[in-house]
Amino acid sequence: MLFGSPTIYAVDVITNITADTASVTTTQLRRIYSMRQVKWANGVPITIFVLSSTHTTHQKFCKETLHLFPYQLDRIWNKLTFSGMGIAPTVVKTEEELIKAVKSTTGAIGYIENIDEVSDVNLLKIDE
Amino acid sequence: MSICLKLMNKMSYRLMCLSALFTFNAIAQDDYSAEPLKIHGFVAQGAIDVDGSNFVNNDGELSFKLTEIGLNTSYQISDDFRFAAQAVFLNGGNRYNEGIRVDYFLMDWNAYSSEQWQANLFVGRIKNTHWLHSSTRDIPFARPSIILPQGAYFDGFRDIAVGGDGAALKLTYNNDEYGEFDFNFSRGKSPINRDDAEVILSKLAQGNIEHGLDAQASFYWRPVFSQWKFGLTLLDSEFNYKSEILDFFVDGRFVFQFYTMNALYEGEQWEFTTELLQTRFKTEGFYVPQFGQDNLGQGSSFQLRYKIDQKLTLISRYDIFYTDKDDKNGRKLESRSNGLVPNYFGYQHDAMLGFSYDFADDFRVNAEYHWVEGAARLNPIVLPNSLVNNKERWDMWAVQFMYWF
Repeated sequence: MLFGSPTIYAVDVITNITADTASVTTTQLRRIYSMRQVKWANGVPITIFVLSSTHTTHQKFCKETLHLFPYQLDRIWNKLTFSGMGIAPTVVKTEEELIKAVKSTTGAIGYIENIDEVSDVNLLKIDE
Repeated sequence: MSICLKLMNKMSYRLMCLSALFTFNAIAQDDYSAEPLKIHGFVAQGAIDVDGSNFVNNDGELSFKLTEIGLNTSYQISDDFRFAAQAVFLNGGNRYNEGIRVDYFLMDWNAYSSEQWQANLFVGRIKNTHWLHSSTRDIPFARPSIILPQGAYFDGFRDIAVGGDGAALKLTYNNDEYGEFDFNFSRGKSPINRDDAEVILSKLAQGNIEHGLDAQASFYWRPVFSQWKFGLTLLDSEFNYKSEILDFFVDGRFVFQFYTMNALYEGEQWEFTTELLQTRFKTEGFYVPQFGQDNLGQGSSFQLRYKIDQKLTLISRYDIFYTDKDDKNGRKLESRSNGLVPNYFGYQHDAMLGFSYDFADDFRVNAEYHWVEGAARLNPIVLPNSLVNNKERWDMWAVQFMYWF
């Protein structure tokens, strides 16, 4: 394993309530963010929101939660976007915008850090 | 006067492209929700100076023919159907024709989707996604260097190799114990216009070359949580040349087969890439009706990248290519041509050093220097130009600035 097995994550993963899921595994999150799983188990399409690849929260999420480096995700997303084979996540500027986008978009997923209270979204438990 | 007008027209055209890109970028940046329409693009301009070959131009002067502009769109029609298209403008001197191309124009059907499996069928003009860098070979910020290893990514074949009209199937499988598996299969043919034929065959070719329906397949595997990824790719294609009444060449048939194995290591600072390739290039007729040749070429490239920090990355690569694995020093080639084609047209090896620096998330400069030995990957390859390419060793440097959104 790349970075050991952290069990406490500084970055929380949130989804729109339509995702209808309470927990995910690390491998499932990797699948989702590398665009290899595009629908939730209930059939709702997954829409991904991310912060820019140089944002500290994004870097923490990639390394500590996904066990990937940000440039690896950039590479996957660029390949999909510029070959026509898929679409990349939507990049937002701030965590507040990300929460707003996840709340208002069916099937959306995102991540947040150091935000104490967030309502009307699912806060996912991450299993190893 | 007419030269000035032509230059002004070219400048206006590029300015129009740039302003359109920035307008689309402004639209794209407002897209914070799950809008079905996505627009992305890039613009890159550089300078390249080649000393000792016609890789970019015949006079050896500094050239600004290093322009790449692209714009693409994706529209999600429903949960399972999507339309996508991309057009690019390229100017690379002798490397390929200057002009606009439609890289892909396709419908994507997400035929099956589960947590473990994905199956997508693409129909239309499909981009080649089989090789390690084939889908990003002309996306300046998504490829490792300005000039890619010419053994596998020969610029003269760019328009044939970049994709074609047909269909592609993509299957992905995820296994929590064994990792991620990708399987791709495609069939298609590339339209080859008169200008493309000139680049590959020489200006003496008056006839038409047609690409038959090719078949391509690839398989990739990344072990679970691994930093390594391994791939295998296969290509089988055929081209037919139909000569004109007054033509330097006669009717001919070419068979081109291409097999690669690749490995990629993605570490936090170090990155390693290698590609091993074998080509089969069979020629029947074309030069004279009785002509027949069946060569197995071989090549390999080894690339190291080191990320000093988030902005600066160093790169070095060594690329080896032999047109005929049984004639690695090219002596048989020289002998067969009665000395008209020097032996160094039988191979091409390229040692490269370079760097990239990110000024911002979407603005980068790449710079590199190449020391090259041999001329096997210089256009036109079927009728080597030994008058201009009269040196075994040549070198080049290139700098390119790029912006994307």
